[in-house]
Amino acid sequence: MNSKLNPEWCLAMAEYELGFEVGAGAMALDPMPELQDENEVADESRLALGRFVTLARRKSGLSVEALAEKADIDVGELLSIERDAHHLPETRTIYRLAMIFGVSQKKLMGLSGLTKPKDVRYVDEAIRYAARSESIARLSKEEQAALDGLIAVLSDKQE
Amino acid sequence: MTPAGPKQIIPVALLNVASRSPVVAELWKPITEKNLADWEVLWAPETAGQLKVLHQAGIERRLWPQSRKWDWRQKQEAFRGRLDNQSYAVMQGGETQAMMIVDLSARARLDEQVRQHLVYIDFLEAAPWNRRTLTGGQPRFAGAGSILLGAAIELSLEQGFKGRIGLHSLPQSNDFYANACGMCDLGADENYSNLRYFEMTPEIAAKFLKKGA
Repeated sequence: MNSKLNPEWCLAMAEYELGFEVGAGAMALDPMPELQDENEVADESRLALGRFVTLARRKSGLSVEALAEKADIDVGELLSIERDAHHLPETRTIYRLAMIFGVSQKKLMGLSGLTKPKDVRYVDEAIRYAARSESIARLSKEEQAALDGLIAVLSDKQE
Repeated sequence: MTPAGPKQIIPVALLNVASRSPVVAELWKPITEKNLADWEVLWAPETAGQLKVLHQAGIERRLWPQSRKWDWRQKQEAFRGRLDNQSYAVMQGGETQAMMIVDLSARARLDEQVRQHLVYIDFLEAAPWNRRTLTGGQPRFAGAGSILLGAAIELSLEQGFKGRIGLHSLPQSNDFYANACGMCDLGADENYSNLRYFEMTPEIAAKFLKKGA
């Protein structure tokens, strides 16, 4: 079938289309800027998550590969958690890490941005502890203190 | 997998709004990997930039572009391989200017053609730079919407549906479908996010095609 949509037809129709908006189909109702704000908050708490995982891993004397193997999670996923605050981890990964490090699965899920925590105080505290830590080869006294604080905040005992 | 290249290319034209001059363009069928990459690399950042401006300007949320979160790759993947879905893209200057996915299994709702087959436009979106921005910017090109509607009508004719098409309009596009296209407005559809449902009869379709001839 020969198309009637030749360039002349298109240009004539374009004149009619001027000043109008075209679009059809199901729409998404949640505004993006709000999501961006939420993402920024989640990014902050994921920074704390990444810092916690790095410190806890180093305290256990494990390399990234060794921890990935021990927890039965993907190495790339673990690296992303430690180094990329935008990375949204897999639910299973968070469960496995919480189990390995002996902290609350529920709180770690909240910190990862996979769930929205009802009580955000522990998230704020975790962010503060993470901010205090510095990356050096061995755990310094401050890092150890920061890690202890993170563990305390993320354990089930402190609700 | 989404095809690397189009199976069919039809020469078309768009109107450069600033200079009011014609520009050569192409209608691609189906949507290709290139179109999806354009959506990711070109459309998404542009849309995000426009939304930021709208947000900072304090524009009411209901006035923002309603298609801002569509994920074309996801849509295309969902429809890929289904024989009752077809897709199109308008190309100009090596960039995707608009995209559309249609469904051939839908039936008409309008009384005079109820339950008759039609081409239902599942999704239609113009590139963000081809939309009027609420902060005063003018679109780069006009005409992509009419080309895609025309393509949907021609597909309807090819399928023996006599030009019947239907769609759920985005709120900011109601005026276009009702007044520029003369489609029948069947009102807000509560089963579809309250978007208004529009339908074109064979007579309206013929009139639409004739309008630009």
